[in-house]
This record gives sequence, structure tokens and C-alpha cells, in this order.
Amino acid sequence: MLVIGLESSAHTFGVGIVDGGKVIANEKEMYKIGKTGMIPAKVAEFHSENAAHVIKRAMQKAGVEPSEIEGIGYTMGPGLGPCLQVAQLSAKMLAKKLNVKIAPVNHCVAHAEITRHYGKLKDPIMLYVSGGNSQVLAIESKPFHHYSVIGETFDIGVGNMLDSFARNLELEPAWGSSIEKNAKGGRYIPLPYTVKGMDFSFTGLLTRSTELIGKERTADLCFSIQETAFAALCEATERALLLRNKEEIGVCGGVAQNESLRNMLQAIAKEHGYRFGFAPNEFNADNGGMIAYVAEKMLLGGMGRPVSECEIRQRYRTDGARLAIR
Amino acid sequence: MKKVGEGAEAKIYEIEIFGNKAILKRREEKKYRAKELDRKLRKERTKAEARTMARLSSSLKVPKIIAAGQYSIIMERLEGRLLKDADITSAQIAEAGKMLGKMHEMNIAHGDFTPANLMSCKNGLYVIDFGLSEMTNSFEERALDILLMKRSIPAALYPSFEKSYSESFNGHLTVLGRLKEIEKRGRYQIRTLG
Repeated sequence: MLVIGLESSAHTFGVGIVDGGKVIANEKEMYKIGKTGMIPAKVAEFHSENAAHVIKRAMQKAGVEPSEIEGIGYTMGPGLGPCLQVAQLSAKMLAKKLNVKIAPVNHCVAHAEITRHYGKLKDPIMLYVSGGNSQVLAIESKPFHHYSVIGETFDIGVGNMLDSFARNLELEPAWGSSIEKNAKGGRYIPLPYTVKGMDFSFTGLLTRSTELIGKERTADLCFSIQETAFAALCEATERALLLRNKEEIGVCGGVAQNESLRNMLQAIAKEHGYRFGFAPNEFNADNGGMIAYVAEKMLLGGMGRPVSECEIRQRYRTDGARLAIR
Repeated sequence: MKKVGEGAEAKIYEIEIFGNKAILKRREEKKYRAKELDRKLRKERTKAEARTMARLSSSLKVPKIIAAGQYSIIMERLEGRLLKDADITSAQIAEAGKMLGKMHEMNIAHGDFTPANLMSCKNGLYVIDFGLSEMTNSFEERALDILLMKRSIPAALYPSFEKSYSESFNGHLTVLGRLKEIEKRGRYQIRTLG
């Protein structure tokens, strides 16, 4: 089935095209985050300006004519309201024009599912780490087929924490891999470490690290904040693996691009003889490919909806989304 | 020495001391994290665990400590079944609530109070695994103990947990108030199903 997927939950407008579970185009335009962070209305404006040409570019890349498209997926949530609306409206317009069904996709589930696909994982403990979210997930079949959240952050997402610290350090650019780059050669300084069972929190770590700016070397701080936060995530993941008797580990979301984190998870997998998998980086950053991938499964599983029923949900939880069984 | 269990931070072995079976819980090196952090966590948690178990030994059913070292604790071996592997009865969950209330009354937060750390034995329910416990009078820490249990048991069981907890801890109103506050924080809003 030829399906197009639209993503605009945060700073990226992404368009992906999938055919039979294979991503054949994955195009995007990303809003440049300055010192002010993301102002929803401004980002939404950026998405509106880019929607049409990114959609066109993806179709050209895939060598697909609009009339060939058999279904549409868009990110229903979670995300910033004004941003989400752009993909939602684009999806509705396309669906009306092409007379096909729409699948509203949960953004977090899409990250997890595309990682399960590329990482060749069947039933993993999935660590989902991004700017807004940090969750330990496992697939459950009751009361319906879904990803249950067995651990998560009590306060902010780990990516948000690292970006905030980068801004406090006045690094340029102050997002993405900037902390990772500056951590090279750093030594460990003790910082607050908070794990409660399979949950964790990061604001204490951020506050203390910020207090130490100017008193400790930047490299030491970057190394230590990363090391402390990732160790907490790893401990929660390992606990989840052992409690749920799972033998596969997956990592997804923006922070999954971080090599230190991957190496740490790989070490856990190696110690227990588990499988460890992740998706190529283009799918860990926000993208339309993963939305198209999940939308195709949903449409084939009879979970498509008419245009009139396509809403957005800013706080759409991972465990509130039904998975297509395929 | 037979390995009988493994958690995220310790391995559990069965050993024999003076002809009696005992449990050795050893926090082994985790290669994934920085050495300094690794040593610090293992030391602090072993110390916290031994201290909490000793403090609770006269007022609550916890395994008795035989010896404690830097990274390991030798303790009494319990015969029983973890609550996470059994069908939890409402009497058991009420008992768990009472035990948590007592702990909180003594300014101890467990840190991982779930059915995976409660053991049903012949002479009643035992609390185990105090590695994440701390001495604290923080209402946030106490509320998190309740939240963790609330999330790990069927919703129908929770009211009897909360009731018996409230009966055994005077500060319950403040804790339950804080719990509501935590649950209101964005990501904890009621998990609407599909």
C-alpha cells in the first residue's frame, strides 16, 4: 500500500512515503531554534510555508504521482498545538482531494515502531528519549494492543534537560549534540542522580550543573551531566528488562542519536546476552517516514478514519494509542 | 554459591552460613557507567539498605541482616513468593499500605515500593530491597512511593492500599495532597485509553 505520512509536532516538517513497509522517501525541513527556543506560532508559520514543497519533494524522490497514493498518515500528537495543526490540515486537504482514508498516528509510537522495524526487534524494552519525552516502554496486549509506559521522567525530558544546560552554558548551537561534542575529554564530577524504580527525574541534575558553571570546567560538566542522566536511564531500562523478562533493548527518539547512550545500552545488552537495536539517525530525529510506516499498518489493520474524524491531541500519551497488529 | 536472582543493581546468591541458608546480595560493578559514579552508587545504596533494614527490624517484617560490607549484605533467607508473581489479594495490599505508612511515620521512604519488592511468606508479608531507600521527611518522596505502587497494581486494589496507609501514618493527608499534585503535572494526567 502506498502511504504518505506528515509530521509537524515540533520543529520539523517531515514527509515520508512508504510502500509495503519500506520507506521510499523521507524529506524534511527544520525550523532553526535560536536562543528563544521554540515559539509555537512562529514554528507553525514556518511549517505552513514549507508544507507544500516538502510534500512535492518527497513525491518526486519516491517517483510517485499524487493519484497513486492510497492512504495518508499524520501526527495526531503529542506536540505543540499550532504545529500539529499544519500536518493535520495538510492531511485533510490531501485526503479530500485524493479521496483516501487517513490514519492519525501517535508520534512516540511511531518512533518506537520504526525502531522495532530497523532494529529487527520483536518484543523489546524500548527506551524512548527525546526533547519532550523520556519513557521506558514495553508492548502489552491488554486491555488492547499498545505500548505501556513502565517508567518515565517525573519532570522534563532528557533532551530538553541537555538543551537547557547547553543554553545555560551559552554554547552555539545550543541544542542536539552540543553537550555530547563538548563532553570529550571530561572527567566525572558527582551530580544529583535520581531513579525511583523505573522512573527518573532530571531537574535536580540541571539545577546543580547550572550552579557549577564557571566553577568547573565545561568539558567536565558536559561529560558528567550526560553520564549521570544516561546512567539513570540505563538503570531504569535494565530494571525493566529484568522485571519483565525481556531479551531485547531498543532506543529511539532524538537523544537516541547520542553515541555515549548507545554504547551504554550496548554494554547492558552484552552483559546479559540480549539483542540491542536502533534505527538510522534520520528516523531518530523527527521525520515523516515513521508516520507513514505506522499509518500503513493502521490502514491495513482497518484503523483508517474519514476526514471528519481527524483531530489533534497535544497530550496524546504513548499508552493511549492502539497498535495495529501486523 | 548459587545465583538465585538478579536485579538492575545487584545479584542475589544463596549461601550457607553455619549450616543455615542465607542470602548474599552483592552490588557488582556496572561497566556502562563512569567508575566514580558506579562506586558511589554501589556504596551509598549498600549503606542505605543496611541502615534502613536495621532501623526497621524491630517494627516491620524485613529480612534480618547477618553482616554488611562495602558492596554486599548477607541477610536472612526468606521462604516465600514475590507479590508480583502472585494474584494480589486485597488483604495483602492493605497490609502493604500499613507497612508503607509505618515506614513513612519513621521518616523512611522506600524508593521502589512495588509488588516486585514485597514477599508473601508463611508468617505474613515482608518488605525487601531497600537499596533506593532514604531517611527523609520529604512529602514528595513519600508521595512517589505511593505513586509507584498505584501504578503497579490493578486500579480496583488501590483504595484499600490508600485506606490502610492513611490509618497508619498521621501525615497521610499532606502526602496524598502531594500525590494529587504530582499526578496533575502534565505527563501524569489521567491516562486516557485509546
